Amino acid sequence: MAINASALVPCGQFKTSYRKDTTIFPTPVARNFAIAAVLLLCLLPLRFGEFELLGRYELNLLIQIGYYGIAALGLNILVGFTGQISLGHAAFFGFGAFASAWLNNSWGVPVFWAIPLAGLLTTLVGLLFGIPAARIKGLYLAIATFAAQFILEDFFARADWFTGGSAGSLAGGFSLFGYDVDGDRGYFYVVLAYVVVMFLLGTNLLRSRDGRAFIAVRDHYLSAEVMGINLTKYRVLSFGVSAFYAGIGGALFGHYLGYVSSEAFTILLSIQFLGMIIIGGMGSVMGTLLGTAFMVLLPEVTQALVSTARDFVPGADESLAFIKQAAIGLAIVLFLIFEPDGLAHRWKMIKAYWKLYPFSY
Amino acid sequence: MNTTLLVQLVINGLIIGTLYGVVAMCFVLIYKSTQIVNFAQGEFLLIGAWVCWWLLTDFQLPFWLGFPITLLFMLAFGVLLQIVVLRPMIGEPIISVIMVTIGLSIFFQAMMKWIFGVWAKPYPRVFAAQSVNIFGLNVQTPYIMSMVISLIIMAGFAWFFKFSRLGLAMRATAFNQQVAQSLGISVKMVFAMAWAISAMVSALAGVVVGMVNGVSSALSFFGIKVFPVVILGGLDSIVGAILGGLIIGVLENLAEFVDGQYLNWGNLYTVAPFYALIIILMIRPYGLFGTKQIERV
Amino acid sequence: MRSVLFATAAAVAVLAAGAASAADKIKIGHLADYTGATSDVGKPYGQGVADALAYLNAQGGIAGGPVEFETIDYSYKAPDAIATYKKWVDAGVVAIQGWGTADTEALVPMVSKDQIPYFSASYSGHLTDPAGKGTHGSKPAPYNFFYGPSYSDACRALVQWAAADAKAKNIAQPKFVHMGDNHPYPNAPKAACAEYAKEQGFQVLEPIQYSLKPGDFKAQCLSLKESGANYAFLANTGGSTISLLKSCETVGVDTQFMGNVWGMDENAMKAAGAAADGMVFVVGAADWKSDAPGMKLVRDISKVSDASGSAYRPVHYMRGICSVYYMKDAMEAAAKAGGVTGPNIKSAMEAMREHVPAGLDGVCIPSTWTPEDHRGTTKVFIYQASVQADAQEIKKIGEADIPRKPEWLGW
Repeated sequence: MAINASALVPCGQFKTSYRKDTTIFPTPVARNFAIAAVLLLCLLPLRFGEFELLGRYELNLLIQIGYYGIAALGLNILVGFTGQISLGHAAFFGFGAFASAWLNNSWGVPVFWAIPLAGLLTTLVGLLFGIPAARIKGLYLAIATFAAQFILEDFFARADWFTGGSAGSLAGGFSLFGYDVDGDRGYFYVVLAYVVVMFLLGTNLLRSRDGRAFIAVRDHYLSAEVMGINLTKYRVLSFGVSAFYAGIGGALFGHYLGYVSSEAFTILLSIQFLGMIIIGGMGSVMGTLLGTAFMVLLPEVTQALVSTARDFVPGADESLAFIKQAAIGLAIVLFLIFEPDGLAHRWKMIKAYWKLYPFSY
Repeated sequence: MNTTLLVQLVINGLIIGTLYGVVAMCFVLIYKSTQIVNFAQGEFLLIGAWVCWWLLTDFQLPFWLGFPITLLFMLAFGVLLQIVVLRPMIGEPIISVIMVTIGLSIFFQAMMKWIFGVWAKPYPRVFAAQSVNIFGLNVQTPYIMSMVISLIIMAGFAWFFKFSRLGLAMRATAFNQQVAQSLGISVKMVFAMAWAISAMVSALAGVVVGMVNGVSSALSFFGIKVFPVVILGGLDSIVGAILGGLIIGVLENLAEFVDGQYLNWGNLYTVAPFYALIIILMIRPYGLFGTKQIERV
Repeated sequence: MRSVLFATAAAVAVLAAGAASAADKIKIGHLADYTGATSDVGKPYGQGVADALAYLNAQGGIAGGPVEFETIDYSYKAPDAIATYKKWVDAGVVAIQGWGTADTEALVPMVSKDQIPYFSASYSGHLTDPAGKGTHGSKPAPYNFFYGPSYSDACRALVQWAAADAKAKNIAQPKFVHMGDNHPYPNAPKAACAEYAKEQGFQVLEPIQYSLKPGDFKAQCLSLKESGANYAFLANTGGSTISLLKSCETVGVDTQFMGNVWGMDENAMKAAGAAADGMVFVVGAADWKSDAPGMKLVRDISKVSDASGSAYRPVHYMRGICSVYYMKDAMEAAAKAGGVTGPNIKSAMEAMREHVPAGLDGVCIPSTWTPEDHRGTTKVFIYQASVQADAQEIKKIGEADIPRKPEWLGW
């Protein structure tokens, strides 16, 4: 894939040093596009009197893509870049949400600080759960994290002091310099800021020594070890990093909703996270966002389709939740069969097609 | 210490454990011959039980007719699933293979809920006598039947792998695909048959559970419980699956005993197998009877 | 999650409302569980609410115009309920017909802040204390209302029945046990009812936990059997209770089961078969076969979703209708008092004394709400399921009037 990507670098781009080969964005044009995109996103929630660019519904979807995207990037670092498998990502996501609410409710930590602190707490938990990962891998790791998901779910429903037990707990609203960020229009910027920071951090991490070590562990762990990479350290570290992202995403989710309960962090969410990175493209930062957007929009599209074809779908109204769930399962299976490299790959193909259009041969 | 309760719970554990054993055997069969971890094993039970229920109630078929039709359906279903979905997965990384079966699992689960609903529906009565008394524990006839049927299936599996042509072919394929192929074994056929047999036997287990508890979405939970069982027994060991099933069945019920009598946490019954799973993975990841993987550089 | 079904009967609405524009329509949110852990009882109740609202719209609406209502299925996931609530607040909803305990209790501070009357299908005792004066640490829930006896009062009524039953059967010190999932809904009456059972001379055993989802509960049933409990209070909904009853029948438990208001109905009785025979449970309104005068209106409402009029409606359906009609009466009173706003609806509700909505005599139990006490009714109907070879029926075996003790407020 790497060869494929470099073949698409436009003319006039000559790299004269290794440093230039590992910039965050492959070309200055790509960087300018990214900056423009962020600026454009900043404009979206604005409202001019009666006229608004985006309604609350669309804004809500964008916020969802934001916090899920952060957590999915963490999972992609673990699965796509380090080659470990985790079926318990939702539990870390939940831990971040609970931790942030707990810090805020029980210790009076302002939400502004509670979110990053929750991320750090989740990192500790991730490191702890990563220790088994140093011993087992592949299939066995998948099953171990699968079990961990159920154990943590049970813990969430039981630990009254921390999570409020099965009743859940309320999470305070975000405030900045004494100004309450109320409503979606304000919170959008909070999530956007976190997305930009976390994604930049992620891409930077991946071009550092540690990031390359992750990839080496994934590609051939024996060779990596021979080259002097401490396997245990990097496997555990990868869990820690992934948990940090999940924790931040979860905390953002908790304070957005204002309420956290163990019911939100089931195995289905873990599967959805994996679905996001598979559909987006494993080992692709850009793909993570695409996959998250796909996974967030899929139920909405399904719903729209079902309600337009309501007369032809038996039980359309009272089985909508099942139809949405079936769509998620089907999407994962179909992507794995027909587009195992995900949307990131498809996006590259499209770009390549238009780059050479109409002389594609 | 309440001995009667303990004894009854252990018996209950053994009965449910044989069912776990049967489902685990089906799981191991697929893993052994195709190297695929099937997260959708529980849905096989679910589909089988619902199809049979549907034939028996909506079409009013007698059991001796409805049940074989269910098995035929599962045969076709297993083969089709293997050809359409799993064959393209050969040679893909583990994560893809796992996710395909997980995707199938949530897809089938949702479809079954959509078609048949979530809640328990009673099976038409098949056996004349309702329940039999063993050591003071009332056990419903279908449960005794399930135990007997499970034992028969287990014996059948043993015979199948030791003496039948297809069984030998499967073992050969599991041992070394290329060698098997060069000996004239159709690996494609073997793969398809592994899925088909696994689906049929799982459906049988599903029907048995359905007769006792009623059919409901809870059947798919067997597919999750199967993981502690196979990890304990060893992913590729049929004997291990049976023993693992019995041990996990008893362990669950012992957890209920400890919980109910001393701890009063309330939920140990459901999570205990998962704690066991993690502990086994830490100590002995290849399980009691599994093949230890040795890596050579 | 946008607009699952904006179920305004559009054509009818336009005819009846004349020129009323969409802006001054009363907006009502309807939260239902059609696919989650309580969907077995969520469907009939939700249908009752939806039918009643659609019927009211066809009859000219509430307070002079048709209402706009949206039904959303949240699969019994509290976080989804909160997300839906926030969406409704933005859309300018004035009142909500809600569902479960977890979500209703989580929403209490939010609905109080936003001043949106919330008519829940959760009858948790914690919601009955509008001023926060209860002696058991309840938090104020000024905007929460529900129609029916609270879970705690219902359980107390069953304990009363059990005490009388034990006396008749000469059981010296009967044993009582609470069974249910570790979830706010089954937990709601746990402490209050255990306390009352103790007062009534019961020996109260450690609660036994069983999931809200269907499953195999033989292990729990064996524990129950060995504990020697005479009376078991089942705090889950009917769906999982079916599985429990079947499992307990298998292992030969002879405990007398008592279900709460959502714990048993005609559907569950049919599915559980002989295992449900003799089970006692609480009902909060007339049942479908009743000949009360108000049943005429109920049958008319039922025709909204069943034109043939042949459908049998489980007991929960009637409570859904009652809940809507109390809300309707309060809205109409509020309209007279200056406008259909949250605070006006609240004070109209709190002015009701032994109130029965017009046309529903004998269906809804007369209810009273005051600014200090949101226990609408403390009267509890006790029914028993009877399952013989081919005749299944539910019949009323008693009524209990639980005193409105101040120390039980919000508990």
